[in-house]
Amino acid sequence: MGKRRRAGILDGIQLALVLLVLVAPVAWMVLSAFKPRTEVAALPPRIIFTPTLENFVELFARTDFLENTLNSLIVAGGSTILGLVLAFPAAFAMSWHRMTWPATATLFARMAPGTLFLLPWLMMFTFLGLVGSHLVLILTHAVITLPVAIWVLLPYFDALPREVIESAEIDGCRQHQTLLRVALPMVAPGVVVAAILCFVFSWNYFLFALVLSGFDSKTAIVASFNFIGEGVTNWGALMAAATVIALPPLILTLLIQRHLVGGLASGAVKG
Amino acid sequence: MSTTVAADAPMRSARARRRPTASFKWMVIPALLFAAGMIVLPFFWAIWLSAQETMIGGEPRFIGLGNYQRLLADEEFWNGFRLTMLLWLLSLALQLVAGTWLGLLLARSNAARGLVRTVLVSPFMLPPVVIGMMAIVILDPGLGVANWLLARIGLGPLLFLADPGTVMLTVALIDTWQWTPFVALIVLGGYLSLPRDVFEAAEIDGADAWQRFRRVTLPLLAPTLVTAAVLRSVDLLRFFDVIYITTQGGPGQSSTTLNILAYRRGFEFFEFGYAAALMVTLSAIVFGSVLAFARIRRSVAW
Repeated sequence: MGKRRRAGILDGIQLALVLLVLVAPVAWMVLSAFKPRTEVAALPPRIIFTPTLENFVELFARTDFLENTLNSLIVAGGSTILGLVLAFPAAFAMSWHRMTWPATATLFARMAPGTLFLLPWLMMFTFLGLVGSHLVLILTHAVITLPVAIWVLLPYFDALPREVIESAEIDGCRQHQTLLRVALPMVAPGVVVAAILCFVFSWNYFLFALVLSGFDSKTAIVASFNFIGEGVTNWGALMAAATVIALPPLILTLLIQRHLVGGLASGAVKG
Repeated sequence: MSTTVAADAPMRSARARRRPTASFKWMVIPALLFAAGMIVLPFFWAIWLSAQETMIGGEPRFIGLGNYQRLLADEEFWNGFRLTMLLWLLSLALQLVAGTWLGLLLARSNAARGLVRTVLVSPFMLPPVVIGMMAIVILDPGLGVANWLLARIGLGPLLFLADPGTVMLTVALIDTWQWTPFVALIVLGGYLSLPRDVFEAAEIDGADAWQRFRRVTLPLLAPTLVTAAVLRSVDLLRFFDVIYITTQGGPGQSSTTLNILAYRRGFEFFEFGYAAALMVTLSAIVFGSVLAFARIRRSVAW
């Protein structure tokens, strides 16, 4: 018994160290965001300080970060909705008819480097005059959200009893009614998980907006990158921006953390 | 038993006759049209671009495989290829070893719940830009807290991302920090789905902890580890965000991986044809690795 217990304590110590290593950089970022300008880069680091909001005030007052954040919300929200609207009926039909090839095909989009699509997109959307609009970001980010939504929804549809759909058909439901009134309420938890994952992935995505966004559609992610490029030496404001853009994914994933790894690994785990 | 079947049979066929023959297949069409326009068409467009010589101000000229010939003779391509392979192998090894260790630790201590789970999932749900910004501030050679901590234990100072000799190792460690918990949670899931009695049998047979790990746990976990390896490989081979955010491929060319090189040729130098050839080549490398892992996965299946 004593040996077991010692092993347990040893495991506890290792785990505590891992958690410390994982938390420390994020804690450092948040602390720096609330430090007075004079103490952000002070060494030895100040752990005790009077927290201030001056970094956030500077961030939102001196830059367009508020507009950038709104752009991010529009793009992430729009691509989440577009992805779900396309994925929901598709995933239902794929599950019902046991079609596997469209799901496999969507994995292709997950594997190819984003830069590969970006060149033709830039030419296509320049031709269409859409570069710099919110729409082009919603469309391109939906390339990320659509496969995620399909793969998250598939197992929920697979678990749906076939009799429910069949009896709805027999009762004379039109197909879209069957889908919206019968299937949707039953897979609602899956839709929530899919929506949150889609939103977070789109919110976090860097590359497409880097090339395709314009002054009026610049996302908070790209704006933060530009702060670095402009040589913003005010680390407090930089960490304030990082804290702001880190918040939505952290809060949202808290809600669905039990489904998270399954959602991210989808495709590979089943395949 | 037989009576139920007999009683069931006529009912079933009656239902089958009433069952509507309508198909739901049309519901895939909107998603397919979207994928055709946004994924398939651009993919072939990129291949077609890669067969052209493009210059700013000039008409594109069809040169067949010319860009690929140029690529094979391009020292920058081979530099990018070496760096891509280095980052891939180094990060993958670190994350699989650390992830297996952490995953089994989580399984033993039954700790992956509540707040601990939140801490574990946070790193890989953070935007890459945030990871890059944290790295810039923490790993700053002069004012960063990392060098201050190293100095406490008599090490350093290091230049981290600013030194051609350490930049790739630093990037690999940043990625390992971010993605080891993900690998660990996959390992944990795989471990929990294994049959318990195998481990008990091994313990009764007197196998020590290392033997149990080496001869029982590891072979049983192999398919799970291959899954984790595929997922990480796809991201590592086309690695872009954190490098572009922190170094843009520098200092010099010391972190210009293939994807960074392709991006810079395409969107900074506007050599669309040559950039497309680089991107198509990188895609082929990624697909090749996925196919290779699919083979490995079949060979470790049990």
